[in-house]
Amino acid sequence: MRAATWAWISAFVLMLAVPLGAAAQTRGAASVPDITGSWERYGRGARGAPNTLPPPAAQPQLKPQYLKEQQAKQQAAREADAKGKPLATNATLCLPEGMPGMMGATFPMEILQSRGQVTVIEEAFTQVRRIFLDQPQKALDDVEPGFYGYSVGRWEGDTLAVDTIGVKEDVRYQNMPHSPGMRIKERMRLVAPDILWNEITIDDPVTLEKPWTYTVAYKRMPDYKLLEYICEDNREFADANGVQQIRIGPATK
Amino acid sequence: MTFPRSGLLVLLLASPLLAHHSFAMFDHTRTVNLKGSVTRFQWTNPHAYIEIDVPDAKGATTHFSLECTSINMMQRAGWRSNMIKAGDKVKAVAAPLINGDPGGLLLEITLPDGKVLEPGVPAATTFKRTPEQP
Repeated sequence: MRAATWAWISAFVLMLAVPLGAAAQTRGAASVPDITGSWERYGRGARGAPNTLPPPAAQPQLKPQYLKEQQAKQQAAREADAKGKPLATNATLCLPEGMPGMMGATFPMEILQSRGQVTVIEEAFTQVRRIFLDQPQKALDDVEPGFYGYSVGRWEGDTLAVDTIGVKEDVRYQNMPHSPGMRIKERMRLVAPDILWNEITIDDPVTLEKPWTYTVAYKRMPDYKLLEYICEDNREFADANGVQQIRIGPATK
Repeated sequence: MTFPRSGLLVLLLASPLLAHHSFAMFDHTRTVNLKGSVTRFQWTNPHAYIEIDVPDAKGATTHFSLECTSINMMQRAGWRSNMIKAGDKVKAVAAPLINGDPGGLLLEITLPDGKVLEPGVPAATTFKRTPEQP
């Protein structure tokens, strides 16, 4: 065959390949679901189409001493609230929620798929976590404790399976104590074109009787662009007793 | 965003709101109705603030700091940073600070042109409103 014919064939193949590559997220030869974009929490209060609503969450089964600790903290918070002197929390101090709290999407959340990585950005506190695809998980000793931990993931068919370790002990979800060895497994899957479920399982043999699974759902926000969020002037602070206070008076910003 | 030529518009959020922190420092049993002049609309996170000077019948002025929600929530509800300016005469409904300091949580504000804005406080209906005195 003449060289010119081969050139035409090559050009034709390229013409086909480029749009396909741009339209689908690819990993090797297989395409994966497109979950890139903005998402908001969905299905709270059982509002939504029945087959898209996440199953109700069971309570975590903490071991007795940790359950006692959690209940004591929750009771202290309730009593402080009743007195009008709320206890300061990480959020009072403009600290991020970390994992798994940020996946509750209190504010909108953006998911970005790029080569070898899925990035999740939560608008509040500009929280960012990176999920490294198709890499082995590290040993716990090789991960410094942080707010988001260290996450690896892989696509298992239509599901993004993510494994996270290395969340700081004082980064707590719903006042739930956990050990440095807590492991968070997530399974993210589109259950409708614009509804994403994230089944989150927390495993911590130190504090939990058995792994705790709950599912959160998100709805695509096709036209929403995440806004910036900087804690520029946090007038709220914790006093010497750990009570949330507020600075009033003329603005300084 | 366009507003109707007459009448009031209350900006509401479409979905239930989640909160990052407790609102227990604000009195849930009563509100204060403040009429005054804006000295500053502070457009910041984690909260915006509206600073107002409120004159009393005897001619004295008290300065109030009114906490709003996050500017992200407010933008999603239709607020913009240029909607309120220093010097604006406004009417505010706020849940006062329990500690008695002159400040509170803004629940609703009426702008000089009659527009009514809400900052989208989570569980806003749990704050019992005190009727405005004539």
